[in-house]
Amino acid sequence: MKEKVKIALAQISSKRENKKENLKKIEKFTLKAQGQGADLVIFPELSLTSYVVRDQLYELAEKIPGPSTKIVEGLAKKTGVHIIFGMPELSEKTKATIFNTAVLMGPKGFIGKYRKMYLPTHSVFEEKRYFRPGYQTAAFETPIGNIGLCICYDVFFPEVFRLTRLMGAQLMVVISASPAVRRSYFEILTAARALENTAFLAYVNLVGIEEGLQFWGGSRLVNPNGDVIAKAKYNDEDLVICEVDYNDMRAAETFIPTLRDLRPELFDKLKKQSELL
Amino acid sequence: MKLSPSVLDLDLSEIESRITRFIKIYVENAGVNGIVVGLSGGIDSGTIAALSSRAIGGETVLGLLLPEKETYNPKDIEDAKFVAEKFGLQTQICDITPTLEAFYKTIPIFNSADRLCKGNIKARTRMIYLYYYANKLNRIVCGSSDKSETMMGYFTKWGDVAADISPIMDLYKTQVRKLATHLGFPAELAEKPSTPALWPDQFAETELGIKYETLDLILYGFERFMTTEDITQQLNIERPLVEKVKSRWLSAEHKRRVLLSPKLGYRTVGTDFRLPRNAF
Repeated sequence: MKEKVKIALAQISSKRENKKENLKKIEKFTLKAQGQGADLVIFPELSLTSYVVRDQLYELAEKIPGPSTKIVEGLAKKTGVHIIFGMPELSEKTKATIFNTAVLMGPKGFIGKYRKMYLPTHSVFEEKRYFRPGYQTAAFETPIGNIGLCICYDVFFPEVFRLTRLMGAQLMVVISASPAVRRSYFEILTAARALENTAFLAYVNLVGIEEGLQFWGGSRLVNPNGDVIAKAKYNDEDLVICEVDYNDMRAAETFIPTLRDLRPELFDKLKKQSELL
Repeated sequence: MKLSPSVLDLDLSEIESRITRFIKIYVENAGVNGIVVGLSGGIDSGTIAALSSRAIGGETVLGLLLPEKETYNPKDIEDAKFVAEKFGLQTQICDITPTLEAFYKTIPIFNSADRLCKGNIKARTRMIYLYYYANKLNRIVCGSSDKSETMMGYFTKWGDVAADISPIMDLYKTQVRKLATHLGFPAELAEKPSTPALWPDQFAETELGIKYETLDLILYGFERFMTTEDITQQLNIERPLVEKVKSRWLSAEHKRRVLLSPKLGYRTVGTDFRLPRNAF
């Protein structure tokens, strides 16, 4: 496994309901990232379709594997680059049950997927109206490290990241479609999730405007000390190449030994109290 | 949360950037040639004119001045022209008096003493002129309603609120004034008393019965899920005033929504036909 991994934060805007155009953009950014030596390129939440598509989701969702994942799989094989992107996933077993999913492709093909566990349904968000939540956290062993997948609002729930980390994730990837009024929350929480788990965290947010929502970008790589070591522009498309050095985790884990100090008995209490809320 | 004037403070450069980006992208995606704004000489429409101009360039923003004889005020014309010149807008003046008089003459039950019904004709007539120019020039109408008047229902249905986009509808009046100052408006204009110009000497604060500085804090409290009691205590004002604002805010919801229809079909327009908009 590589200890030093080059990551591309592919902060794009997506064209609404236009999978063909968005796949072209995914290809364009992947080729550019490949040209700069990237091992992994990360695209935002629902980057295949754009975020605000409402009832059109039923037409846009695809199974995995499906036509779009096959194209991205071909791209990963052709370029030798790992690719993470977001898409509405149609259940294999039903006709209209959809998940908000992050997909990880590698040079040898499909590696894994994560179905968003926490679906915001408040304020301007209406995800529970359309999506079924996932029930599993996800961390995948790959030649470029153990990669965990999370999506956007999950970042408000430290237990998702703790579990992802405990499954072995060294790099926790958060793909997102966060509108501007919530920027400060994500800037705080992405740093906190990295620090409390002493792991790397790559956050890739959408840009552009959909309905009145202005996605703020600001994608970043946070190191295990909670420092932002690379950051994309606010509001505009950007491609930022940065490096993860897994060796840095040793010093962080020693200096901030949160995993050593874990108290499993608290999780039982947490479960009990949350059921009584 | 402490309800003090500072809660309404904004990062004005960031707000300007977000609004101009919003306007620019909307115009690009809609595939139109520009924007038409109604320039009343007031601060809301002036701010919208300035933001539109900064977003897409003044040469593609048309400010329509729509005076009529009963509410004619040379100062308003002067202020509207000042804004147009400062921000490089094109302008056109249309005196709407003959059109209004035609309405007055041809409506059999017209009663001039009923100033609200009569005034609403003025607001809706201005809308017709704005949309004529927008249609003719392949542009969109950019509305200038603010959050205070929208929450209070202080507008004419299908009149001054009618537009394709409404870029400052999420800013309270006092915030619009600060944004105007940030954009370079002189204090005299930024603080100019608001009027819908439906009849002579009509002023918003007099009609609403409250100063915007207080109204905006009450509305902000409701926006942040505060109770009537909390708002009353924190602002140290009379509870009936807060209740009156709340009642007016809630009772005006019909003016802010798409048309209501009884649910008869599988999916219904405005209810559960949930589609994205075209231009974004």
